[in-house]
Amino acid sequence: MSHIAAPADRPLGVGILGAGPVTQAIHLPALARLRDALEVRHIMDVDPAVASSVAARVGAASSTSLEALLGDPGVEIVAICSPHQFHADQVIAACRAGKKAVLCEKPFAMNGDEAARIAEVSAATGVPIVVGAMHTFDPGWLAAEQNWGDLPAQARTIRSSIILPPNARFEDFATEIITRPATGTPDYSDVEVIKAMMQGGIMGLAIHDLPLVRRFTPDFDEIEVLQARHVRPFGYAVSLRTPTRVIELRAVMNSTWKPEWTFEAIADDSALRIDFTPSYVQAGSAVATFSRGSETSTFGPYGHNGYEGEWRELAELARGTRPAPSAQALIDDLTFALAISAATVQDVATGHAAATETAGATA
Amino acid sequence: MSAYTVTATPRAEEAGAVALAVASLPATFGPATEDRAADVVVVAGEAGWTTEAARAIDSGPRGILVVDPVPEETTQLADAARAAGAAVVLDLHWASNPALVSGSGDPDARDAIRSAVGTASLLDSVATAAPGTDVQRLLARHLAAVLAVSGQLYGVSVLRSGTTGYTATGRLANGAPFTAQGVLTAARPAGVGIHLYTADGGVDVQVPDPDAAWPAEVRVTGAHGQLLLPTLYESAHRAAWRRLKTHLSAGTLPDDMAGFARLTDLYATLAAT
Repeated sequence: MSHIAAPADRPLGVGILGAGPVTQAIHLPALARLRDALEVRHIMDVDPAVASSVAARVGAASSTSLEALLGDPGVEIVAICSPHQFHADQVIAACRAGKKAVLCEKPFAMNGDEAARIAEVSAATGVPIVVGAMHTFDPGWLAAEQNWGDLPAQARTIRSSIILPPNARFEDFATEIITRPATGTPDYSDVEVIKAMMQGGIMGLAIHDLPLVRRFTPDFDEIEVLQARHVRPFGYAVSLRTPTRVIELRAVMNSTWKPEWTFEAIADDSALRIDFTPSYVQAGSAVATFSRGSETSTFGPYGHNGYEGEWRELAELARGTRPAPSAQALIDDLTFALAISAATVQDVATGHAAATETAGATA
Repeated sequence: MSAYTVTATPRAEEAGAVALAVASLPATFGPATEDRAADVVVVAGEAGWTTEAARAIDSGPRGILVVDPVPEETTQLADAARAAGAAVVLDLHWASNPALVSGSGDPDARDAIRSAVGTASLLDSVATAAPGTDVQRLLARHLAAVLAVSGQLYGVSVLRSGTTGYTATGRLANGAPFTAQGVLTAARPAGVGIHLYTADGGVDVQVPDPDAAWPAEVRVTGAHGQLLLPTLYESAHRAAWRRLKTHLSAGTLPDDMAGFARLTDLYATLAAT
């Protein structure tokens, strides 16, 4: 049996809004690795049974209301893992409650107005906000950042490719899930269903890597969609460009056992490829590989992933040992994602209308 | 003494590494002598190659090998070759790699992909070549490789094309998206990657350039796990020469040009868009 040393300082208290699979399979296992620094003290979920059951696993209090969690003096850091539409108001409430730091799962807002309101409140209260774009906290990504030199200025081609099985496969490797959202069989003939799936694909899946893409896209505010194709059962093939960049996004969520999650930035004479580990499992960091002709250099893997990286940063922010991240960067990341999401949905709608018209003309 | 003598234009020699390929089949092929016409004529596949090949047939060779042909109408050449009984083999930059189409009943990428393509959800492909490569030629090589293994593609169009590469799109017979991206960079080895995704896995194909005998890699992923097909340390060039040998020995005529017509037809539709 291993010996766990007593912490030098009292761990910071964590409260989590929403006790679904992400909390159960991602955040609680990540926090279990950081017991010296962080301690889960309060779990809130609208389902009281889920809230109390998940809280009992970590010896925390439970409740069914935002107010109860924010009113808990033991909670110093708030993690927002609720459905997307609640994020903005909950981030603002947590800031106003005087907490030391806030983690919000991506996306942290659903439109620019919400993002601006959050930025104002964060600035006024001084509460640092971290958005759960876990790959930006992955030690493999951070090592790439330390070593990429002028690649962000030179890269012309950027690719993000995500091949994953349904979440349950990796959730079950991480924990024992007590609730899962119900899934249905989508009607692929309904364009509204496809539009919703494309929006979900960008704002729920691609968004993991869009902050990475944006780092290599200086003219990100001039994005143009060349194609947006839905991939069954869930995924996308999206081609984008700016005046200086070509961006290809691919995703397939099928029933494979073999995940592949890569980010690539390619210039004329150098390239970066990052292979990320799947979400949920504690499988260490990404591996970053730089190539230049027949020469390659590799960074990683390191011992922890980006989720643990997020929590490490939150602990430092709450203790005041690290400066707060730029609110403008978070807004720019969100604006970039929203622009791509809106344009891809529009492209799907336009393509569907054209296909319908063609079918009608040839019937 | 080799069975068949070979002559190649300097451009064909360079493009097809003809001396190396011939040297690797020394009992079958050898250099032609000046005192008699060659049995095999090698033609570079640049624009106008069908005319040059047809002219070569007039000199009576038993075989013609065309190195890296660009899409071009081949009907007249096919007729001339058939009338003369000349075997015309196309040495396609990536598509002639023996891992794509074995021709001998051994497992290959074509079988792996065609057995899965009916349930495919996405066929994604990326071709890489050095900066300065003609992107139109790269696209032709790329599509030739995909067509060799995938079967028919529908509604293919080019979304963008420029000095850094291209993006093309289309669909498979079942309606699933097909994408083809070309990237010009010196950062990575040249080659083409073809990735077919199905409900529970798929097929990954990585084909290297033919200037060395690097093996292509074909991986089939399914519920069973992942299977790496046997690696073949043979370049696309040598595989084309070996096919030519088989046809010359058996007295048969290859159907390369019939297959190539699919690429030419597809390319013509791209040029029109």
